[in-house]
Amino acid sequence: MKNAIKIIASLFLLFVFTASVVNAQKWQAPVSSKKKQNPYEASTRNISSGKKIYNINCKSCHGDAAMGNMLPLQPVAPSDLGSQAFLIQTDGEIYYKVNKGNGAMPTFEKTLSDEDKWMVITYLRSFDQNKKESKKIAEVKNPEVTDVKLLLDINNENKRILANLTGVTAKGDRVALQGIELSVKVKRNFGYLDISGDDAYTNEKGEVSVQFPEDLPGDREGHVNLLAKVTDDAYYGEVIVDRIASLGIPTNPVNPLDERAMWGTRANAPIWIIFSYVGGVICIWGVIFLILFQLIQLPKLAKNKE
Amino acid sequence: MKEETSNNSRRKFLKSVGLTVGAAGVVSGFSLLGAAKAAAQEPGETVNLLTQDGQLVQVDKNQLRPTVTGPLTELQKRGREGIAGKSFVMVIDLSKCRNARKCMDACQNHHQLRPDQHHINVLQMQDAEHTAPYFMPKPCQHCDNPPCTKVCPVDATFKRQDGIVLIDNERCIGCRFCIAACPYSARIFQWTEPKDAEKYKNLTYNIEANVPQKKGTVSKCLFSADRLRENKLPSCVSSCPNGVYYFGDQNEDAVTNGTTHETVRFSKLIEENAGYTLMPELGTKPRVYYLPPKNRAFEFNGDLLNEENLH
Repeated sequence: MKNAIKIIASLFLLFVFTASVVNAQKWQAPVSSKKKQNPYEASTRNISSGKKIYNINCKSCHGDAAMGNMLPLQPVAPSDLGSQAFLIQTDGEIYYKVNKGNGAMPTFEKTLSDEDKWMVITYLRSFDQNKKESKKIAEVKNPEVTDVKLLLDINNENKRILANLTGVTAKGDRVALQGIELSVKVKRNFGYLDISGDDAYTNEKGEVSVQFPEDLPGDREGHVNLLAKVTDDAYYGEVIVDRIASLGIPTNPVNPLDERAMWGTRANAPIWIIFSYVGGVICIWGVIFLILFQLIQLPKLAKNKE
Repeated sequence: MKEETSNNSRRKFLKSVGLTVGAAGVVSGFSLLGAAKAAAQEPGETVNLLTQDGQLVQVDKNQLRPTVTGPLTELQKRGREGIAGKSFVMVIDLSKCRNARKCMDACQNHHQLRPDQHHINVLQMQDAEHTAPYFMPKPCQHCDNPPCTKVCPVDATFKRQDGIVLIDNERCIGCRFCIAACPYSARIFQWTEPKDAEKYKNLTYNIEANVPQKKGTVSKCLFSADRLRENKLPSCVSSCPNGVYYFGDQNEDAVTNGTTHETVRFSKLIEENAGYTLMPELGTKPRVYYLPPKNRAFEFNGDLLNEENLH
């Protein structure tokens, strides 16, 4: 009897377990999609641009890759795209799922370009421990440095920002750091506007030149809050400089309440409406009072005639 | 000499005894008082609270005081003036909306509204018989030429310098002229006692959030003006899971997406995606811009057969 209960219980548990596994694995990409290969190589640049696209389009639901901090959505929580369980799939399968979407997962068929999608997949593959070819291909070898400095040189005339990244080697020389991605941003009310463009990697002099947008407004004096940083903190820790520069277009905020308008409150009503209203009230009451006055005068007039 | 010292010591002894007895009396007196106080405030329920440094503590309910947001007159004054130098705009990307309704939940939570009351509502739209249906969130348009403020007989609803149209429930007489004047049906009327009226009756009225709501007055979307004061995005914008909303300052020509926190140029976003406003023929100059539902992120999953849902 005891054995029978045990068997039934274990069968039940097995059933529940398989059901949950089946449930989790329900979304299968078709076999034909599996063969598709990622045409882009796993270079640091591709991984970095993939990370940017990931952070804008995927992170809000899936969380950080390999961190497991996805949104706890019901009934199916988004999977951790950096986990090994997810990366078992081929590039083609991931590409298919990104394209098609399923339930709460949107379709990116038209909203992201093919290149962008492959960049994201390249970025995700960098978390794959089984793929040897996915190891980062370092384009440039920088020497081991300390005291990394980011300097900003701002040219007000042609609105160019020149950022220079250097570090001190073990020998004590300050050398330029090459091939490092920088982000240049402008502070706005609710966030930072990225103006660094697609190719903000330091050259052999450790420099990146960024064009400030010609028509971006600043404050009354044209001041903007600039922020430059090394995009990936993994290289040298957090390297940030912020600077107030007068590169923006001086903008005088217009206060709509300065003008009298029909939609304004009583204090802000147009002069003509105040005059015509007050005039109308005076006229109407004037007529009423005139009539009343004449009525009072009637008996007097009658007496005078007599 | 010796006698004097002994005299001294006796005096000292007496002094110290007196002091001790006196002190003991005072202390016991205080403790009695404390006990009486404690008895008056019976240790009722305890509440779990999280301190600023992340510690979980248990606090007696008697020790809790309601938060005081500042005197009413001060709140009214700054609420009427608005935030200087700002010009707030919202952009709603219809191609990303899938009717998740998180914006509505967050809004109703923030402004103490019942589930059937909407400052923002997600509508099902179908423009013509053969066109594709889509979802359209519709908050107050915060017009630059608002018809609603023109008709208010008591100056209760007004436009501020940052472009936001607000209503002062302390002034509102409930005539509902503004509801009739609004072409976007953005305003609601509190016919009955508002949600949790008893719970919030002692709260100082905040004109920038319309809380606590008042029976017999009009209420409307406020772009979460109280959150904007703290440089936070409106409730609906930051609660959207699908990146539908952008919000920002037109003077800076930048809007920030509430989901992805990506900041983009407002003018470029509108230009590149053919942004439009609702009912432009009325000349109301709305501050809410829409991006057309092209290249959708989700398939339309609404219920078109149910005509009640269709607008």
